[in-house]
Amino acid sequence: MIAGGCLCGAVTYRVTGALRPVIACHCTQCRKTSGHHVAATSAPREQIEITGEVTWFRSSDTAQRGFCGTCGSNLFWDGQGTHLSIFAGTLDGDPGIRLAGHIFCADKGGYYDLTDDLPKTPAGDPGLTTQVIP
Amino acid sequence: MSRGSCLCGAVSYRVTAPLRPVIACHCSQCRKSSGHYVAATAAPSDAVEITGKVTWYNSSESARRGFCGTCGSSLFWDGFGDHLAILAGSLDGPSGLAMEGHIFYADKGDYYRAGEDLPCFAQGRSGPKVDP
Repeated sequence: MIAGGCLCGAVTYRVTGALRPVIACHCTQCRKTSGHHVAATSAPREQIEITGEVTWFRSSDTAQRGFCGTCGSNLFWDGQGTHLSIFAGTLDGDPGIRLAGHIFCADKGGYYDLTDDLPKTPAGDPGLTTQVIP
Repeated sequence: MSRGSCLCGAVSYRVTAPLRPVIACHCSQCRKSSGHYVAATAAPSDAVEITGKVTWYNSSESARRGFCGTCGSSLFWDGFGDHLAILAGSLDGPSGLAMEGHIFYADKGDYYRAGEDLPCFAQGRSGPKVDP
């Protein structure tokens, strides 16, 4: 069973299906909310069971971000597609997924470098963000 | 003068002192609260002027974490010392800062390697180094 939650434990979740590989997003919104950059997996909504109250912030016309109102942990990005993005740092244990690429690299912070050999795109890339482990 | 804010703008800050280089922390608490890992600079607390309401969470007996209760942006780590840690992603514009190293790397998530060619410490910077 894949499970995760926030730091204080007020919000937990379970995922019954497979997780997408982790994609890092360096867009300005993700950098502001996470305090560095986002690294997220995702799963079909109907395969994610959330317990506890998530506070949602509408960050654009097409997306909202979910966090714990008690401890402030960043948990979800909801792009209103079929999948819900789950921030990988909130996962418990090692579900076996790995970082597989970087998107919105044109917007990354100047204080760090991307030195790994993974795919990097200047903006969004559905080829990276829609992949799912079979 | 450095400035920063949360995503929605409800909390902003300015810093009138030089900022420390950025240190990445991979401890379990930082990973849970940020959703990945924390990268933070720091400045003397009395040189950080905060506008707006920060929501604080006491994450241990010796530290609290500050975030925006409206948009959830992670902003500060306060170890109750003379410096306040400021999460680097919240800074506005080019900061001129550079990341200097990784701490609590022994607790990092299995799904990534930090990759940077920087010193990685198992725990604090006074302790042993580990491979990236």
